[in-house]
Amino acid sequence: MRSLNLLFALLFAQAAPAADKIVIGATLPLTGSESRIGGFYKEGYDLAFEEANKKGGLDVGGKKMRAELLLLDDTSAQATAASLADRLINSDKVQFLLGTYSSHLVEAQSVVAEQSGIPYVNGGGGAIDIYKRGFKWLFGLLAPVQNLSGALMEWIDSQEKAGKLPKPSRVAVLWENTAHGKDFRQGVQDFVGKHRGDYLIEVDESFELNGKDFGALLGKVKNARVDLFLADAHLPDYITMQRQYATMGLCHKVQSYGARGSEKQAAEALGKENVKYILSSVWWNAQLGKAGITKHFVDLFKARYGRAPEWYQAVAYETARALFLGIEQAGSLDHEKVREKLAALQVESILPGGKLSFPAQSGQQAIYPFVVQQNQPDGSSPIVWPKESAASPGVAPNPDCK
Amino acid sequence: MIEHLLDLTVSAFLLAGLYATMAYGLGLIYGVLRVVNLNHGGMIMAGAYAAWWAHDQFGLDPYLSIPIILVLAFLVGVLTYAGLVRRLPRGAAGGVQSLLLLFGVWLILRNAAYLVFSGNDQTVLTSYSTKALPFLGAQISVNRLAVFGVALVTLGALHLFLTRTYVGKAIRAVAQNPESCTLAGVPVQRIYMLTFGLGTALASLAGALATGLYAFNPGFGATELLKSFVVVVLGGLGSVAGTAVAALILALVENFSILVIPSYLTSAVGFVLLVLVLVLRPGGLFGQRVLG
Repeated sequence: MRSLNLLFALLFAQAAPAADKIVIGATLPLTGSESRIGGFYKEGYDLAFEEANKKGGLDVGGKKMRAELLLLDDTSAQATAASLADRLINSDKVQFLLGTYSSHLVEAQSVVAEQSGIPYVNGGGGAIDIYKRGFKWLFGLLAPVQNLSGALMEWIDSQEKAGKLPKPSRVAVLWENTAHGKDFRQGVQDFVGKHRGDYLIEVDESFELNGKDFGALLGKVKNARVDLFLADAHLPDYITMQRQYATMGLCHKVQSYGARGSEKQAAEALGKENVKYILSSVWWNAQLGKAGITKHFVDLFKARYGRAPEWYQAVAYETARALFLGIEQAGSLDHEKVREKLAALQVESILPGGKLSFPAQSGQQAIYPFVVQQNQPDGSSPIVWPKESAASPGVAPNPDCK
Repeated sequence: MIEHLLDLTVSAFLLAGLYATMAYGLGLIYGVLRVVNLNHGGMIMAGAYAAWWAHDQFGLDPYLSIPIILVLAFLVGVLTYAGLVRRLPRGAAGGVQSLLLLFGVWLILRNAAYLVFSGNDQTVLTSYSTKALPFLGAQISVNRLAVFGVALVTLGALHLFLTRTYVGKAIRAVAQNPESCTLAGVPVQRIYMLTFGLGTALASLAGALATGLYAFNPGFGATELLKSFVVVVLGGLGSVAGTAVAALILALVENFSILVIPSYLTSAVGFVLLVLVLVLRPGGLFGQRVLG
């Protein structure tokens, strides 16, 4: 009996987190189709934890507590993301959760956090359906994907108004068959609906995530003779589709793959020549880091990793920072108190617009403007929209199209 | 519209080349050994990594690395047969065991690739990756054309091998009646081993060819295995020419279905076709033929 008690005591001692540290659980797609992006998010998380701990940890009610990240690989699979969240909460006894990357994974994982009543802050789910479920414990830092395509359309509209694009412009909208893709399409449709007569959607097609052949789909686009090619794709699909696009000799006055386009890996896989003038609308850009906390983040990242951050690392860093701020403002590790502080959070941010909050009316999904960037022949991707952040006016129509 | 239909037809023919190359090995092994080689997907992935590695390390063009990859994959197949598959009971009795065993080998291969190469997507960029040739107003990708050419050459070579050589004839005989072959002095075990090696080499060939078309990671091969399965069943198990024709039918149906259904459903069309064939013509469109 005595030895049994000792065993229970040992097990209990292992399960409960030490009083001087806060254990925060997270999963990321470190392997599988989203592994590259998962690695970028890890860099952002690691940087935020290192920075917090260099200052002695988080200030929780006057007591400094180290923040420890317990990170697991969800292999880019929805079921694994959900089951690992369950493990983190019930077996590893983490106190808070940071989210994974990609809307469909966040959608599944956030259910587990909600059922367990644990604050879940994510920077990887931008689809608005995730936030329409009335979840109390879910907080999202990715602004809605509808706004992403909306920002693209605003820049395109500025070019049309300047007489650089035909009026009406004929549009092809190609979207991956996910919540992310549907929001992208909705953003384009909403914009076109508000600007009747300026745009005509000639092709409106969805495609399978991680598709292998887009020949038939691109053939349809070719046949429609559109001016604007607006697709929403994840990185592997962007590479496969753009490779076929180039070999089919397609060229459009404006071309975009949603949030993808400026990735170094894509330029390496496709050749600089084949990614010229592609537009991408993203949640953050290092060119915003000219002053204040954004500059601090960019400098910190460069010192740690020896290169400039992309939006993935920035959003991940800010996601962890938002949770830290919620904990510090609550002055407690009590889940309900931290949740209340996160819901009421109003802080300076590295995100575009400079402010971060989780408005109740958007289901606690942060709302802020997107930045539109465009690949240039020299390999750079300057911001072209919004005007106040733009480093270049952008190029339209694509001068390479004959 | 005619131009669009022509585009779809050309695209389907080129896609069929890859589908056929993916399926030859699976069909060959099943036709002779009656073993569904679930490690086929793993070998497609291994072939892709081998071509990528040779290009990345030595700048070797993926098409030039094919002979080396074929030899290595053949040896892997021979060793897999000698070390594992040979111990399984033949025919229906060994069905479940062979599925589990070869699925296990695939998992090991996949996890080894994660360990060695990480989960990052890899691509091969060559000087002709995005080059195209004009054909009746359409642009045909040089890479896809090359894959189609390799598929035709493979079909021809397999046909000649199976019909004109002693070993090929022995393979067909063993596929038909292994017991009688044993009585006639045909070394059945050796024929099985050679066939498994050949099928494995063909899987790696498909992987090497795919590097010019897609980004891939260690998870690569799963969709390709399913497509191969559809093609093999559609063509009739054990029929090489049937496999080629089935690949063309699948590619045509997938491509032309975009005219009537959303693009994201086109890959499901193949599986609907598979169910229809299994229900209406279980022996495949070209019957249960002997190889060749």
